[in-house]
Amino acid sequence: MAPSVRARRPASPPPGLPHAAPRFPPRQGHLDADERRAAASLGFGPSRKSAYALGGFSITPGEWKLLVAVVIIASAVRLFRLSKPDSVVFDEVHFGKFASRYIKTRYFVDVHPPLAKLLITLAAFLSGYDGNFDFKDIGKSYENVPYVSMRMLPATLGIATVPLSYLTLRGLDCRATTALLASLLITFENGLITQSRHILLDSPLIFFTALATFLWVGFCNEDKHEPFTTRWWSWLTLTGLGLGAVVSSKWVGLFTIATIGLGTIKQLWVLLGDLRVPPRIWLKHFWARALCLIVVPILFYMAMFQIHFLILENSGEGDGFMSAEFQHTLGGHSMADTYADVAMGSKVTIRHVNTQGGYLHSHGHNYPGGSQQQQVTLYPHQDTNNEWRIINATQTGDPSADWDQLEGLHYITTGTRIKLRHLATEKNLHSHDFRPPVSEVDFQNEVSGYGMPGFIGDMNDDWFVEIDHGDRRDPESSRRVRTLGSQFRLRHALTGCYLFSHKVKLPSWGFEQQEVTCNKNAVRPNSLWMIEKNDHTKLPANAPKVNYRNPGFLAKFWELQQVMWTTNAGLTDRHTFDSRPSSWPMLRRGINFWVKDHRQIYLTGNPLVWWLSTAAVLAYSAIRGLLVLRSQRGYRDFENTKVVKYDALCGFLFIGWGLHYFPFFLMGRQLFLHHYLPALYFAILMLCGVFDFLTSTLRPRVRLQIAGIIILLAIWNFSIFSPLAYGSPWTKSKCTDSQWLKTWDFSW
Amino acid sequence: MVTVGVLTAIAFALRFYKINHPDQVVFDEVHFGKFAAYYILREYYFDVHPPFAKLLFGFAGWFVGFDGHFSFENIGDNYTENHVPYVGMRALPAILGSLTVPVVYAIMKESGYGTVIAAFSASIVLFDNAHVAQSRLILLDATLVFFMSLTIYSYVRFRKLRYVSFSPEWWGWLLATGVFMACTWGSKVNGILTVLAIGAAVLVDLWDLLDIRQTGHTMDNFTRHFAARAFGLILVPLIVYLSFFWVHFAILVKSGPGDTFMSPQFQESLTGNDMLMNSHEIRYYDTITLMHKDTKVLLHSHAERYPLRYDDGRVSSQGQQVTGYGHADENNWWQVVPTKALPDTGRGRIVRHGDVIQLLHVNTQSYLLTHDVASPLMATNQEFTTWPKDDYSRYNETHFHLYVNGAHEGEALKTKSGHLRLVHAPTKVSLWTHREQLPDWAFKQQEVNGEKNPSDKGATWYVDEIISAEDGEDFLNRTSASTNKDPKPMNFFKKFAELQLLMLQHNAGLTASHPYASNPINWPFMLSGISFWTENADQKQIYFIGNIVGWWTCAVGLSVFIGIIGGDLLARRREEFPIPDPVRNRLWNSTGFFVLVWFVHYFPFFLMNRQLFLHHYLPSHVTSALVAGAVLHFLVSDTVNYPISKRGHFTKPKPREYAELGLKGPIIVGVFAVALFAAFVYIAPLTYGTPGLDGETVNAKRLLSSWTLHFAAKNT
Repeated sequence: MAPSVRARRPASPPPGLPHAAPRFPPRQGHLDADERRAAASLGFGPSRKSAYALGGFSITPGEWKLLVAVVIIASAVRLFRLSKPDSVVFDEVHFGKFASRYIKTRYFVDVHPPLAKLLITLAAFLSGYDGNFDFKDIGKSYENVPYVSMRMLPATLGIATVPLSYLTLRGLDCRATTALLASLLITFENGLITQSRHILLDSPLIFFTALATFLWVGFCNEDKHEPFTTRWWSWLTLTGLGLGAVVSSKWVGLFTIATIGLGTIKQLWVLLGDLRVPPRIWLKHFWARALCLIVVPILFYMAMFQIHFLILENSGEGDGFMSAEFQHTLGGHSMADTYADVAMGSKVTIRHVNTQGGYLHSHGHNYPGGSQQQQVTLYPHQDTNNEWRIINATQTGDPSADWDQLEGLHYITTGTRIKLRHLATEKNLHSHDFRPPVSEVDFQNEVSGYGMPGFIGDMNDDWFVEIDHGDRRDPESSRRVRTLGSQFRLRHALTGCYLFSHKVKLPSWGFEQQEVTCNKNAVRPNSLWMIEKNDHTKLPANAPKVNYRNPGFLAKFWELQQVMWTTNAGLTDRHTFDSRPSSWPMLRRGINFWVKDHRQIYLTGNPLVWWLSTAAVLAYSAIRGLLVLRSQRGYRDFENTKVVKYDALCGFLFIGWGLHYFPFFLMGRQLFLHHYLPALYFAILMLCGVFDFLTSTLRPRVRLQIAGIIILLAIWNFSIFSPLAYGSPWTKSKCTDSQWLKTWDFSW
Repeated sequence: MVTVGVLTAIAFALRFYKINHPDQVVFDEVHFGKFAAYYILREYYFDVHPPFAKLLFGFAGWFVGFDGHFSFENIGDNYTENHVPYVGMRALPAILGSLTVPVVYAIMKESGYGTVIAAFSASIVLFDNAHVAQSRLILLDATLVFFMSLTIYSYVRFRKLRYVSFSPEWWGWLLATGVFMACTWGSKVNGILTVLAIGAAVLVDLWDLLDIRQTGHTMDNFTRHFAARAFGLILVPLIVYLSFFWVHFAILVKSGPGDTFMSPQFQESLTGNDMLMNSHEIRYYDTITLMHKDTKVLLHSHAERYPLRYDDGRVSSQGQQVTGYGHADENNWWQVVPTKALPDTGRGRIVRHGDVIQLLHVNTQSYLLTHDVASPLMATNQEFTTWPKDDYSRYNETHFHLYVNGAHEGEALKTKSGHLRLVHAPTKVSLWTHREQLPDWAFKQQEVNGEKNPSDKGATWYVDEIISAEDGEDFLNRTSASTNKDPKPMNFFKKFAELQLLMLQHNAGLTASHPYASNPINWPFMLSGISFWTENADQKQIYFIGNIVGWWTCAVGLSVFIGIIGGDLLARRREEFPIPDPVRNRLWNSTGFFVLVWFVHYFPFFLMNRQLFLHHYLPSHVTSALVAGAVLHFLVSDTVNYPISKRGHFTKPKPREYAELGLKGPIIVGVFAVALFAAFVYIAPLTYGTPGLDGETVNAKRLLSSWTLHFAAKNT
């Protein structure tokens, strides 16, 4: 690891900047370009209307007309028979349902952030959707749902991606022909078409990815010209907002942030090496980017969640994921104030702290195996079967009958020996040396309800209370058990195991409620319990009462992030059409979206576009590797302006592709072909960058002809597979003929 | 010399102190003791780790006279009562663990650090409770760490000879690196990380050799260097690694508990294997039972029908149920019916790979069938049912292709050994099952359905036994002429490839949660340890945890190093050069190498989904001790010992420099060693498992609240 000898590059213009053509024609002035730049870095920029194009996008009026034509073609391709099929397709099951929930303001939990779903909801709401359709199964026919306008949203964003790709490549200093090629390849990409025609989140995601990339390219062009102008700030802020929008659509947007983050780090590193930039100005550059590219996206992201919380104000199917405090904020879950002091004889409900399984519960059904005694479970809803009486276990006589014979209030502290009496069935919470029904491991014992009216019970009913910690705002609660404040463990007196529950469901005989066991090796969080409701006959009516504190926005936001993360990581079940990342660049297999009445919608790509883009990525990495090896052997390729220009261009797109693709290899969750689409967007741009390089020596007419041939081939490919995108009728022979790879599993 | 002698002596003393305690099976001795016993009994077993370290244990056991008849069944089983010479077996890792200390010392000396600094690094390993605990028991990590440190040592020696390349000495250390690397890799799966670490360092080295700006770096020279390293660091280690497996297979020739993991072909190479003894050909019209390979249930059917409507509202065909059933039953009997004309007698009646067959359920006289109706539990898979024998309306839908895995065209299907898939001829789904019970209407039997994915592993079945032949002939002896009950030899490379693949799969499959498993982010700070062993009577326990002073020093050392490097990079970017060149080169090349090795041995664990334990950090801990020493040197001295590499013919002679530590160096190291020893002694009862501790003492020993010690007093 010898220190590498860095050849000093000329400091201005910084590396990474295409040296080829002066795109910003020098203005008449007494300063040359270098001096002007130096002056600008110091903040002494001349305040005049600039003569260079906005963000470096110098686009001729003819091109605008061309762009309009492309948008019209893209609209035709994406909107063609948008109303077919008129039944639920693939994940419309989920995202349609979420729109209904938003409109009904019923709380739900999803693994994706809210922006794209909010936009779909907005479309539905404006078309007067009432939220009454359940989107239950793929293939269910729509009734009274403005599904076309809901589908319009992803479709519109899908169309908007096309001109963005054109502008991005123009901003990256590619020729108009190249940019046109890119926009048409994206227009006729079957995968992007299929994905944007249904109520799915990927089309918004790709649009925002393209938007953020476009804005970033614009910002870089401004930055090369003159920093800290109003326009510089606008592009930078817009880039930040774009990043916020990507990451608020799907977490995959973090990869876009990483791409642009790497670009920023490179910019700052180059600036740091430019000794003419004093530290003060460098810090200004640094803070400007930190503010706009870190703080702004975070604020945007949080704002989306604020809207999310404001809309979903009522209790719904997602309650079970959230903590008790959180649920308390939802309409329909509020709880009356309850007495704070817990004492012997209190009638209580006991809540499991760590999982959202609910309350310690028992009911008149027995375990089918083990001891065959009465079941004890966790039950998420309020119910009289959740009520237990705390009884002094050291009392003489029959404590369950005489519990109210005690003089005064006896508080519960660490070390207090109690029994818990289930009020509805008059049985005691009991544990013994039987293996629990589901977690049949040595270190866990079964917990059951045992006893009968008039029976004192045995020693196996006795539990020691151990207060783990109290609420910081209520110092008393760490000394004795108080409602809501104290979190405690219950140690079984004879076996020393702790009352425990975990996210394991009992089978149907236990009504799929959560298993409760007594665990000798209990992890602390899963053995913590708290008292949620408390009533005592001897407490005076004016005794102190407590209730849940309303969590603030930040607490709710943070909790929801954690829930989303764990839910996301838990999506590990196999799906019939899931695939691993290694199969994506080769388009080995698609996804069956919908089959009905002998028609099919199957997500697959345009093979030509797909394979060519992969080839372009491979070609770039191979050539770049070769160039690095050559430079180590003394060849001076990297001093060739053309190599420098295309290396900067393709390098940026390659990093975009790699960062949107490789992280998926680390994910254990189920993955689908459509996760590759953002990477595909970069790969297509890269393909066009390579095209620009290969045709750079040709005459414009020849270049246009080659591009035309590629586009015609792409359209031919598109037309072969278009019945799968539109779900239009297809003959069996055509279907079988188009099965180019054995692994494409449509048509059976 | 004196220093290293003293350090080694203390190392032996600390690792052999009360090595006979506890005289019970501790933690993973359950596994590795057992494996040693299998080597002695020569019975085949299966494990995720390569065999080198276990072979050493087997050898140690054999050497001290262990007869292999104790099975190490449970933690806490007594050795003395069962006459197991366990002290001899434990001595092996204790010796290797002790020898790690002088090797660490030598690495530091060879890397150009003074005696004081070398002693500093060595004492971090020497007084480490984690290393001591791990070395005193029959566990693989001591071997792993020892060979890993030897690999680093050899590579450092090799690097120092870079100006005299291709000299005999240079070749010697190159080959030593390769051989030790193979031993590390052969000890434990994660030894592969050592190979990767050295590989990364070699790549950097080769990259510099490619640099045309250095004199003498011709392409020819580069090719020779490349070839030498490919030979010494790829080919030689591979041969050594393979030879461990060769010995492994040569010893384990008898059938044992590992049989069932292996392919039928592999099993038939073991003496006394069930499959070898009881494999028969099947003929048409034989009645057979079909067993599912993964879940061990038999294909079953009974007269009850699927309910019209399931709980979720989907409907069924109301056909006869087909399920998986775990117990012997007449309803598991199926007759193999041909779909082609058969000769009256002879080998033409044998069922072969690729045949299209029907399966007749004997008790209900109906054929197995599947159709495009969703199965009871999985809407994506097809339902299986049966169809009456004499109703020909759905004849075609009862046809199944029979594919025997890995069979050639026309190979006969055999019971037990032939793993097969049944693929439905019209719809191409495979007969498949999974561990999901059907509801009460199917008596909680296992669901069987048709899986569309043709390569799914759950679609593998085999013929468990032949119940009877059609004409009542003695099916066991009809092929007696062709049977041969001797083990069938199998090519070593095939055996190796199969075993290696299985090891990787099972290693990745170890994902069940364990109460003492921990996340890698906790390791450098040793937030949680592992309870190895407890004894309730005397409140004794062995809790695997490191020396808090040593580990935290290492963590600080690493952070300081990253800080120095980061600061240096930033300063250079602004064209300021605060660190003199020799010192900077030492930081980058020597300390940087240690950090690289640390990183490669640590970071990959973040990517693994399997269960992870604190002891996986031990190799990284050793390298972090090296880093800590180097950083200490940087902090107390502005100079380095220089040059340390052997001078070649073309290298310019450079003025010799010596590092000046002054008085503060020895003082710091001395004070540190005392602190280290104090911390070691304080935790020692948890490391040696003796003496017993009362609750209050246990609480006092619990230095971090995240340690889960046993017998802690309840705080009131």
